[in-house]
This record gives sequence, structure tokens and C-alpha cells, in this order.
Amino acid sequence: MDSLIPFTTSGSLVDCVDRKMLVVLRDGRKLQGVLRSYDQFANLVLEDTVERIYHQDVFAEMWRGLYLIRGENVVLLGEIDLDQEDEIPLRQVEWSVLEPYHKQDIANKKRREEVKSQILYEEKGFCKEGGEGDGY
Amino acid sequence: MLPLSLLNAAQNKPMLVELKNGETFNGHLVNCDNFMNITLREVYQTSAEGDRFWKLKECYIRGSTIKYLRVPDALLDAVKEEQNRAREAGRSARGAHVSGAGARGRGQQPRGRGAVRGGQVRGARGRGRGM
Repeated sequence: MDSLIPFTTSGSLVDCVDRKMLVVLRDGRKLQGVLRSYDQFANLVLEDTVERIYHQDVFAEMWRGLYLIRGENVVLLGEIDLDQEDEIPLRQVEWSVLEPYHKQDIANKKRREEVKSQILYEEKGFCKEGGEGDGY
Repeated sequence: MLPLSLLNAAQNKPMLVELKNGETFNGHLVNCDNFMNITLREVYQTSAEGDRFWKLKECYIRGSTIKYLRVPDALLDAVKEEQNRAREAGRSARGAHVSGAGARGRGQQPRGRGAVRGGQVRGARGRGRGM
């Protein structure tokens, strides 16, 4: 990164415009698309977006199109190396095949988190965590 | 093309809005502002679980509750084209103006800051405004 540009949202993201990016949202969704624009809140415009779901060593993709993402919900924005993106040890399957597994994963994770916070609350003197999205 | 100008350009276009709580709203954009507050018309609302639906004539959504918006793919190209046209029009209009009004505005002889050399003291001063 050019040290002349200060480390701000606008400073860090100029280099990412028109690149293929991975965006992870607070709800756990993973989107891949071309970053076309952004602003000081890290609101993002993502073109030709696909959503990916993963389960163990398989993944599936679903075409989504043009997104305008509100910056607050972004956890991570990372550039995808076009030379290496196909060299992953994962197998692609149909979305409809993988979706039930993915939903099950989400449900399991939710239940695990509930159990964990209940134990922390009852035995370890933690306070009750807030609701959705408090993990970040 | 900033994200919010794209939203502005999406007026009267169909879109899908997902809120942070997972509810989605499908409808046509009526209006929006710089807080991302929006109004939609002819809306289909879907619960977060995707198992319940409502039809609304019109609805208002506070910007801060939005997770993301999905807009038509063609919108980005349309907006880019529109911008180019506007720029082209602006340039030709300005060009005509400059040639008519003589030495004024930018693009004339290069000149240092505040260097007002003899002659046109009035017209050639400063670079702000009036372009």
C-alpha cells in the first residue's frame, strides 16, 4: 500500500476497486463479486455477485447479481487471487444439494452458541450476551 | 458512482431489500435519502424464515435497519452511460461558452497562483467558480 494515503476506509479500498472481492457479512454470508464503488461508511457496490455456501470440503454457488451492501454489516473484505482461486481443495456441488446441510450447520452453530452462553451465564458469572450480531 | 448515488438512480426500479433481522422487502423504489431511508411501493414482505408473506401497498424503511439491497444488473451500466452523457453535454456547453467569452476559466494560458499580469485584471482573476 502506498504510504502516502492515510489508513482510512477510503484510503485502503482504492486499490480494491474493479477487483474480484470476497465479502463476509455479519450474518455469516459469503459473497464474491467485483467491487465497483464504496464510500466512507464502507457501503459497497458489488457487481456480478455470487453467494457461496460451504460444508466440510464441498461448496456451492448461487448467482445473485448487483448488490448494494450497507457498510455496517460488513465483517471482512478481501481480494481474491485470480491465479489461485481455482486451486482450492474443495469440490463444487449443486446449490440445492448442499443447502440443507448448510442450514443444518447454521442451526447447529446457533444451538451450540446458546448452550455455551447459558453455561457462561450460570456457572462463570458472565452477563447475558446481546442478541443477533453481537459476536463481532 | 458512489453507492448512494446508485441508490438514487434506482428510483422506480424494482429491488429487494433485506433487513438486518433477515426480513426481505420486494418492491419498486419510490424515494430515498442520504441516510438510506427508503420508501417502496407494491411491496411483498417475507419473514426472516421465508415462511410467511405480506403484501403492502407502500412502506417506509429506516436506513439503519438495512443489511443490503439487490438492484437490477442493468442499473450500473445505465448510470455509467447517463454520467458520460452528462459529462459530454457539460463539456460541449462549457466549450462553447469559453470560446465566446474569451480568456476565462481554466485551460487558458498556464498561470501561477495569483499571478495577475498586466492587462485583463478583472476577467482573468482566480480559478474558482464560474466554470
